Amino acid sequence: MFTGCGMITGQNQYLIRDAVRPLPGLEGSRPIQIEHGLPSGSFPVYHNQTYSNVVQPAVINNVSIPLKPVPLPVPPPALKLGQEGFKKVCRTEEDSPCPFPGLASGVLEMRVKEGSKIRNLMGFAMARMQGEKGISGGGVSGGGLRQVVFTGSGRAVTKTITCAEIMKRKVGSLHQLTKLQYKVVNEVWESSEGGASEMTVHRTVPSISILLSKDPLDPQEPGYQPPEALSALWEEREGVESSPQTACKRTLGPLPYSSFPHCKRACLGEGVSVHAPH
Amino acid sequence: MSDPRTPGMSSVPQAAPVHTDSTSPAVEMDPVEYTLRKRLPRKLPKRRNDVYVNMKTDFRAQLARCQKLLEGGGHREICVHGLGLAINRAINIALQLQASSQGVLQLAANTSTVELVDDLEPEDPDEAGEHLTRTRNNSAIHIKVFYPDPQ
Repeated sequence: MFTGCGMITGQNQYLIRDAVRPLPGLEGSRPIQIEHGLPSGSFPVYHNQTYSNVVQPAVINNVSIPLKPVPLPVPPPALKLGQEGFKKVCRTEEDSPCPFPGLASGVLEMRVKEGSKIRNLMGFAMARMQGEKGISGGGVSGGGLRQVVFTGSGRAVTKTITCAEIMKRKVGSLHQLTKLQYKVVNEVWESSEGGASEMTVHRTVPSISILLSKDPLDPQEPGYQPPEALSALWEEREGVESSPQTACKRTLGPLPYSSFPHCKRACLGEGVSVHAPH
Repeated sequence: MSDPRTPGMSSVPQAAPVHTDSTSPAVEMDPVEYTLRKRLPRKLPKRRNDVYVNMKTDFRAQLARCQKLLEGGGHREICVHGLGLAINRAINIALQLQASSQGVLQLAANTSTVELVDDLEPEDPDEAGEHLTRTRNNSAIHIKVFYPDPQ
């Protein structure tokens, strides 16, 4: 499931797998040479389906080591460092710049993790946003915070969006600003046999930050969504292009592509991977 | 066990196979068995520059498709959509596009909730159970990947 899903299309991508695995007898010497001969920064790992779970051995799709030139075009099989006799010792997340410049410092930030329970997150966040109703009685907008940020990375991205969507639905008339960025995660792996050999792996993990605000935000900012834009997204889209292909829903069946000329065009040159017009 | 209709078998209702006939004593205790059938998401807009990301197609193929649209297809912007588990992949594609453009491309992400319908069909057509549908929500993301207008 994780194989071949996501790597940078770039050049000079090599597989650590080939550097390590074919040397069963040399595992003591050669990998160490690799690990110590290079600064740790030269191990960029582009990893898409993240494992933020510390317990499980991470699956790494693509590690680049400038030793053995294995060109990328072959989809690299998922590499399990854990199976190579490596153990993850520590994992640190590099601080990424705040995606919302000019945001007040006191904004509530909900850091959504893979294992976070939505009810816990929402229970806390909703209470803060709505304020303590019991105290002030019925202040219209007196209580509660004006803004909240949900952030999550890797496999917590979906949960982050779900939290924001729930909050938008419950609170209502919230302005939204969504930002995407890569987050850099450093992992230190230690060889279980070699003892002293260490390896630092840099992984980039997609992360999302969603700012929900009761106050208006800049509509010109990319990623801005006005309040109650729930269904408007779709209708606006459909109106934009008087699409002749309302019938072009997912007809994956035996229909020949020629009945969808535009789709055919989009699929031209796709070679092996045939994209059905869906 | 071989024949759940044997009267003597009724003393072990838990052990009865699940998919036996309605006469099986186990089925009387259990609610009717249903097959869960997930309908496809409702009709979505599909322009030439809309890309719906799924988890079945190879990632690189989908990324290449987006790149082709932006570079060869002459589109100034494309929309990458992802639903549920594919959100991650959609974000990845968008970020990869941005990275490979040396930061020229900009991203504008919107989120939404998509209502999905599940059909519950009785396993056995003779069964008393009726056809049920159930709706649930799933999150979706729509990322506009575009070249900013020259100012």
